[in-house]
Amino acid sequence: MKKKERSGIINPIFTCQPAGAQYVSIGVEDCIGIVHGGQGCVMFVRLLFAQHFKENFLLASSSLHEDTAVLGATHRIEEAVDVLLMRYPEVKVVPIISTCSTEIIGDDVEGVIRKLENGLLKDKYADREVHLISISTPSFKGSMVSGYDIAVRDFVREFATKKEPNEKINLITGWVNPGDVTALKHLLNEMDVDANVLFETESFDSPLMPNGDAVSYGGTTIKDLESTGDAIGTLVLNRYEGKLAADFLETEFEIPSIIGPTPIGIRNTDAFLNNLKKMTGKPIPESLVRERGVAIDALTDLVHMFFADKKVAIFGNPDLVIGLAEFCIDLEMKPVLLLLGDDNVNYSKDPRIKEFEEKVEFDMEIIENADLWDLEERIKNGDVELDLIIGHSKGRFISIDNDIPMLRVGFPVYDRAGYYRHPIVGYSGATWLAEEMANVLFTDMEYKKNKEWILNVW
Amino acid sequence: MPYHTFKCSKCIPERTKHAVIKGHGEDLTSCLPLGYLNTIPGSISERGCAFCGAKHVIGTPMKDVIHLCHGPVGCTYDTWQTKRYISDNDNFQFKYTFATDMKEKHIVFGSEKLLKESITEAFKAFPEINRMAIYQTCASALIGDDMDAVAQEVMNEMPDVDIFVCNSPGFAGPSQSGGHHKINIAWVNQKVGTVEPKITSDYVINYVGEYNIQGDQEVMTDYFKRMGIQVLSTFTGNGSYDDLRSMHKADLNVLECARSAEYICNELRERYGTPRMDIDGFGFKPLSESLLKVGLFFGLEEKAQKIIDEETARWKPELDWYARRLKGVKVCLWPGGSKLWHWANVIHEEMGVEVVSLYTKFGHQGDMEKGIARCGEGALAIDDPNELEGIEAMMELQPDVIFTGVRPGEVAKKLRVQYLNAHAYHNGPYKGYEGWVRFARDIYNAVYSPIHQLSGFDISKDEIDMDNGFVTKNIISDAEIDREASIANNEREYTGKYDCVTHLREKTY
Repeated sequence: MKKKERSGIINPIFTCQPAGAQYVSIGVEDCIGIVHGGQGCVMFVRLLFAQHFKENFLLASSSLHEDTAVLGATHRIEEAVDVLLMRYPEVKVVPIISTCSTEIIGDDVEGVIRKLENGLLKDKYADREVHLISISTPSFKGSMVSGYDIAVRDFVREFATKKEPNEKINLITGWVNPGDVTALKHLLNEMDVDANVLFETESFDSPLMPNGDAVSYGGTTIKDLESTGDAIGTLVLNRYEGKLAADFLETEFEIPSIIGPTPIGIRNTDAFLNNLKKMTGKPIPESLVRERGVAIDALTDLVHMFFADKKVAIFGNPDLVIGLAEFCIDLEMKPVLLLLGDDNVNYSKDPRIKEFEEKVEFDMEIIENADLWDLEERIKNGDVELDLIIGHSKGRFISIDNDIPMLRVGFPVYDRAGYYRHPIVGYSGATWLAEEMANVLFTDMEYKKNKEWILNVW
Repeated sequence: MPYHTFKCSKCIPERTKHAVIKGHGEDLTSCLPLGYLNTIPGSISERGCAFCGAKHVIGTPMKDVIHLCHGPVGCTYDTWQTKRYISDNDNFQFKYTFATDMKEKHIVFGSEKLLKESITEAFKAFPEINRMAIYQTCASALIGDDMDAVAQEVMNEMPDVDIFVCNSPGFAGPSQSGGHHKINIAWVNQKVGTVEPKITSDYVINYVGEYNIQGDQEVMTDYFKRMGIQVLSTFTGNGSYDDLRSMHKADLNVLECARSAEYICNELRERYGTPRMDIDGFGFKPLSESLLKVGLFFGLEEKAQKIIDEETARWKPELDWYARRLKGVKVCLWPGGSKLWHWANVIHEEMGVEVVSLYTKFGHQGDMEKGIARCGEGALAIDDPNELEGIEAMMELQPDVIFTGVRPGEVAKKLRVQYLNAHAYHNGPYKGYEGWVRFARDIYNAVYSPIHQLSGFDISKDEIDMDNGFVTKNIISDAEIDREASIANNEREYTGKYDCVTHLREKTY
């Protein structure tokens, strides 16, 4: 495990913390976040979501301008909350998401929330359920990944209460796509597990209806969030995207939690089902044995013929990169370069990283606080020879300019159609990933006329 | 001209003077919507920030430059790869983006050292590029780093490199427009006059306010070159850093987007006496008039006329084919700034569409004045629209198509309104004669899409069509068209290629 050797960044892998908090915010029903900062901090993040999902999501800005940047801008929050509540009568939850500028000028968001609760909300919105949540996500700390983690915790902390045990598990999915949520719900259903799937993105993939009334919104309700305090356990799929909330629930309500593994690939999906079994006592049914068999069947056709010893570089969200690397190894591939795009000090202590360090017998480089130049420079210098790149669309030109095939996975993916719809988790996700990797390699063989005739009789 | 009050905005009285409906015979100047005022917090406005106005809109289209943001990584990441300003050097400017990645310790202890390291690293990574623009962000502005001093220090140590400093933090103004202004002035103050160019023609222009969206600049430059004109620099699309340092040596500044770049033209006029000529590359008539105007300035009218005649003969029959089929199509013209008035009249005149509404996110009152003057009666004009107002307008006006950005395009989609990208275009370029046909073609393809027709169909209520295995666009568009007249008039569909720009790069003049 190494650190990037430069101070600055050339082609970043991640955006900053407020984007992660915004992603959590759009997963909640009747919720519009106010990003307290300059307008670009919202406008571009909404564009990013629109690029990835081909849908529109609502987020507001406190519209910091010059005067307020100097003199303090809490009054802009007050005005924003009022304007938002007046015009969106269905809104009940308003997270106030801080940015670099408003953290630097030291705006007291919690103070202004108390003021609003005792003033505006009592005077003007007395009959209305409104929750204001302070989410502190200065852009100069962490990344969009830690922003997600923080916001999940802050939402849960705001609402979680202990009433009656509900026999449900809390499932914190992390930064996943609608297709992943569908796949996870399917597994839960087969296991007959009643789960509270949090920050639920399945409904992001909304229809275009004849009467024109459809919108995209997240599926997690206030009730869902409240009931997290009554669960029998919390399952967090991604260590860096939900663990803070699980820790909170454990400390505050003594709800046991299991962190990971990210159910990417067969082995990790097995572990996920085993965790469900452990937590609920429910057995793994025959239907899933069969479903697993379908996936294994598909992989068997590909692995030793096409994947064996192929060298792969992977970049993106840490849990995603680690999960994909583990799966690639099971597919007989060699993930020789993993790029984790922020400076989270916990990566070096991650047991999965330790396992790579101890057990992998080929050269594998793991770079933390990495940028995409760490990848491209190694390719250009000949320090690494790659058969495949796996990562999100911001790295597309590395693939295009260096003639290395690339499978788009992660966030954002805007240069391939409909990828948010396909799962990468569960057995169906394992199948999709492997088959898409194969198809990407096949297309590359044909494009380069590199033994393309092999596919004549496959 | 009555102010228009949106139902959704009745509760925010500040909005009442930001929308008007153009009435019959009314005096435009006496009743314009307010413009370029502070945004109402929480209104879900579509505006961006002054950082993106400087860096993303005007800075980054410069092609042979390392563009480095001094701040946390988000400002860089978020504005990276979200536009289509191409260049003839393999798009270096949007393939690579650079940031200092400011962290908490830098906020506390300052980050000038970090900036310097990042600058030298970037030059080291790309030894063939020795020009750089560094951009301030909210964070670096608030902690007060002296970026000019750092840039000067590096330039002293590395004599081959040149660095431009743009101090335009996100909060500097109500919208991206504040950043346009700041970077215009910064460039003329810091860089113009620092390079003496090679003059190769008696007719020398700077092409200003042109960002080479999908190749616009290359199409227009082709016309200028065919007239024998030397395009000394382009501010900034496909523009070269050192060329832009020699802007003072042009005979004329030819200005396209006055919203984003009139400032530098006005400064150049004041400081170097270079006249400013506003032109318009969109639409056959405005473009022809523009070429003639430039021709007249240099005594090159005949050459201009030759181009106009050739291009019109080649492309007019194709424009006419679409215009016949676009007559009466209702359009919401909802771009960022100057296309509001570049397009308002000409799309009606030349394509027959009806502009039912126009808006501007970051335009000033002057833009609205021009836009309203050029659109038809009954049009709804909105300054700094917000999400709910846009939806309300679309529900009321029922446009066939809306010209706007990617994300608002998704809002329109759900309301069953077709969308064309007004900023980055669908299949541009849209400037030039061929480009204008491509625009008409894109509108046609949107409006007469069979899938769009199917989207309004409710299979649970409506009678399902069992007679057609498919429907072509032409069947839909030509239902009430006089096809015979269209054929007699020699009209035809677009015959150009998918890429109509790259071949221009091989051309000699």
